[in-house]
Amino acid sequence: MSSVTKLELYRLVGAAAARGERVVVATVAHTRGSTPQRRGAKMLFFEGGGTAGTVGGGCVEAEVWAEAREALRTGRPALHRFTLTADEASEEGMVCGGTMEIFLDVWG
Amino acid sequence: MDSSHAQTPPAELTRALARVIGAGGVAVLATIVEAEQGVGAKVLFEAEGGRTGTTGDATFDEALAAYARDFDASRAEAKTLRAEEFAPAPGAWRGARVLFERVEPEPHLVVCGAGHVGAALARLAHAVGYRVTLVDDRADFLTRERFPEGGIDLVTAHGWGETLKEVVGTGRGVYAAVVTRGHNEDEECLHAVLAARPDYVGMIGSRRRTNIVLGRLRESGIDEEVLREVRAPVGLDLGAVTPEEVALAILAEAVAHRRGGDGTSLSAWRRA
Repeated sequence: MSSVTKLELYRLVGAAAARGERVVVATVAHTRGSTPQRRGAKMLFFEGGGTAGTVGGGCVEAEVWAEAREALRTGRPALHRFTLTADEASEEGMVCGGTMEIFLDVWG
Repeated sequence: MDSSHAQTPPAELTRALARVIGAGGVAVLATIVEAEQGVGAKVLFEAEGGRTGTTGDATFDEALAAYARDFDASRAEAKTLRAEEFAPAPGAWRGARVLFERVEPEPHLVVCGAGHVGAALARLAHAVGYRVTLVDDRADFLTRERFPEGGIDLVTAHGWGETLKEVVGTGRGVYAAVVTRGHNEDEECLHAVLAARPDYVGMIGSRRRTNIVLGRLRESGIDEEVLREVRAPVGLDLGAVTPEEVALAILAEAVAHRRGGDGTSLSAWRRA
């Protein structure tokens, strides 16, 4: 869990935009079942490879990373669905098992 | 729904967000997350009435504005809805989905009294990410030596009433914990704090002692309805003994209030 507050994340988005950099803002838009992050949780992906915040630990983060890199390249925002069945979750020893819809927005 | 050409420049939105955040204001950000066109379009609705951005469709902007007010009144942090769930005439937006998010400061915990419990509560709440102001009328209880970690606003009260009125402001987003050394001080603090109707108000003490203070406030003319909102004795029943545990019980109640929890064990269903 990241301890970065949402306001701090908005500040970082503003700072990146002011530098003229593109930043991808991933937001948990909708959840069903047991998911590792609440609706509204955010993670930022910067052009330089840096990140801030989290949308859900190991369960979906690798997939979100891949989509975020794509969004940084194309500049096109889109909603993505990530599903983790309870079986997958327990095999991985993780705390999730549900559906997360994550909106990858592009700012700047 | 030809909106792609009409989207707001992001710099305008980030500036508006920075302004709202800087002023400690509250706003609702609506973002089109799924639609045939206009994905990523955003409108920021400030609680004070200001608006930044557009979906490119004035009618749909109005429908967003109307729902943003309902969303603001709810406790939800974020919610995604289909256009037909909130727009009376979604037209071309039928099937589109919109993410509504709350933009607001972290709760501002005002701790009245910097004794053992007040000091522990200020430190704990700061660690949890709340903005914290610790107020006492004894300057020597508010030294940086006692609070070397920083990040906690230390305010010496020259008269509780005036100082708290200033610290509590409009009361929006304010959580007040009254944990002074005596009932006269508690009464003065509550009197000042309740005028602003903060989101959460609690007073430490036994049932008997807190009843005495509430009785005096009632006699002084404060509405019964306002007094009923006071958490007295403050905190969840954790069986807390030490000042740190009492602080935890208070903070736990504040978190439950903010997030809508009921304070019971999550495992209780197993034994029901």
